[in-house]
Amino acid sequence: MELIEKLAILGDSAKYDVSCSSSGSNRASKKGMVGNTALPGICHSWADDGRCISLLKVLFTNYCIYDCKYCVNRCSNDIKRASFTPDELCNLTIEFYRRNYIEGLFLSSAVVKSPDYTMELIIAALKKLRYEHRFNGYIHVKSIPGADLRLVHEAGLLADRISVNIELPTVSSLKLLAPQKSHESIIKPMSFVSEQIQGANELTIYRKRQTFAPAGQSTQMIIGATRDNDLTVLRLTSELYKRYKLKRVYYSAYVPVNEHKDLPALNTSPPLLREHRMYQADWLLRFYGFEANELLDETHSNFDINLDPKCDWALRNLDKFPVEINKAPLEMLMRVPGIGYQMAQKIVRARRLAPLNYEDLKKMRVVLKRARYFITCNGKYYGGIDLDTDDLYPLLAEKTDPKVYVGQISMFG
Amino acid sequence: MIYVTDGSFEGVLTAVFEAYKNKTEPEDIIVSKDGYQLSLLPAMEVASDSEKSARVEKAIVEKMGREALETIYRAYLSDSPDVGMAIYNFIKIGLKTGRRVLSYLQHPDILKVHDMSSRVLKETHLFLGILRFRKLKNGIYYSKIEPDGNIIAFLAEHFAARLSDQPWIIHDAKRGICALYNTIEVVFTDEPIHLKEDFQDEFETLWKRYFDTIAIESRKNLKLQRQFMPKRYWKNLIEKQNL
Repeated sequence: MELIEKLAILGDSAKYDVSCSSSGSNRASKKGMVGNTALPGICHSWADDGRCISLLKVLFTNYCIYDCKYCVNRCSNDIKRASFTPDELCNLTIEFYRRNYIEGLFLSSAVVKSPDYTMELIIAALKKLRYEHRFNGYIHVKSIPGADLRLVHEAGLLADRISVNIELPTVSSLKLLAPQKSHESIIKPMSFVSEQIQGANELTIYRKRQTFAPAGQSTQMIIGATRDNDLTVLRLTSELYKRYKLKRVYYSAYVPVNEHKDLPALNTSPPLLREHRMYQADWLLRFYGFEANELLDETHSNFDINLDPKCDWALRNLDKFPVEINKAPLEMLMRVPGIGYQMAQKIVRARRLAPLNYEDLKKMRVVLKRARYFITCNGKYYGGIDLDTDDLYPLLAEKTDPKVYVGQISMFG
Repeated sequence: MIYVTDGSFEGVLTAVFEAYKNKTEPEDIIVSKDGYQLSLLPAMEVASDSEKSARVEKAIVEKMGREALETIYRAYLSDSPDVGMAIYNFIKIGLKTGRRVLSYLQHPDILKVHDMSSRVLKETHLFLGILRFRKLKNGIYYSKIEPDGNIIAFLAEHFAARLSDQPWIIHDAKRGICALYNTIEVVFTDEPIHLKEDFQDEFETLWKRYFDTIAIESRKNLKLQRQFMPKRYWKNLIEKQNL
């Protein structure tokens, strides 16, 4: 098979994996080697779906022994199959890198023969790339669920980031859709990787070199393939950040690729807005000091699709508003709908020079469309209406079509 | 008084020096000669003077800190037509506020320089990603860029570290300047370069195929794509050409 056809097949098979980040690693160039890594990561292009392309994201092979119902590569699907040779993969990576198409390689694989066998293939290819082709750029490797931890360790030594995909947020969903993968086969390597990364961190202190997955660990969950609600996904997310110190949790709106009674119908469009809400909430957890149980609870177990999660929270906590822009602490400014992390910091710095009035905020380009209802400037309120949940809802909802009001009824009715 | 500079950073700072020496507010500081049209107002050509500009630089660093000088320099690189006066106003305010000048974003003159500088930072970061090298028959990697700001020096620094074992040329076609790298050092030139545009490279075809493959059809969102990667940059992107 021609290389171009392989690339098309194995790129196509890998495209449902969301993560493409090349951040978190800061490795300088080395003599005799090709490349380095940039701490914030670099996007090299954006595909027609608007997602960034940073890494060459491919499967090593899409021949699979598993039959996970949600997956396009399940063995019972009649699709074109291919495998790279290690040399083909190395050449593609290096040559793309030299032309500045990519930051590096994201290597995943279907499970061929056994998890251990697959993991060994991946490791062999990565070794070739690092030691023979002298590649010093970014590598993200997928750990195959069920592989021996010794192999996971070896992969982590070669890669910048390592990830195990959770895919489904509950044990019961996993049983339903991926009966050959066990909950344990996912959590065990995740916990192991987490220990290795922290261990390497401690070694760094006296050896000055961190070698095990310096850019940390990430994972991915599919949104909308099962009936799991947002609360379940968010709680699990928060747990993953806290317990396993994950760098990122990615969400992937389920794109129906297979026909099955346990799955959404093939003509269902991917729940992109719900995925977007999950990402917004994820940012609130990681950078804004929110706890999962502040955003959702048993009585409110799904995000309102018409509101961003911060607005959703603010409307249920109106007693905390309005806040005075010239006095509120940074943490509270960040909780104002429409004021982001960076803007909150700019405000705190700017108000030290002179008190800020409403016009100043406009000049600084604070997005006041939503923020105006939640702030005062020198004691003056510019929202123009009472702080009332029912009155504010239609003003804050992102869509003003009739569905907004349906959402409102189900929320407060 | 209108001050007309030779377009260099030194020239701009020299003009600021002259304006302070003359104790009159300048009507304008012209950075780009192309944009300058004779007016009835008195104009004065300023010859770049390294001593005078060094004194202004020193005052900026002492009063406002290194970061302020870097911000001013990046704003200069934005090639905005009104950058001369923007820098003058920034310095004038900064001499009063001191180190906090960079936080004074409610002041339009400070915000202006801040914006110019951050546009340059953002575009530089974008180009670290969207700059494409094409491999010539002779083994040299050639890249043509047309950025809004004058960012070639930042790009050259990045690629000299990253792709240190391959010779490359980065050619800013808008400004007619080149960064040449021979695997040892970077040299900048404004001499025109002549290339036989003979790119036959299987990896370009492979890359384009990969690019077309990786998008998920049911998530198609061309508006989002353009938001991240504005259309004016597409003509130098391999994956956006019909090969």
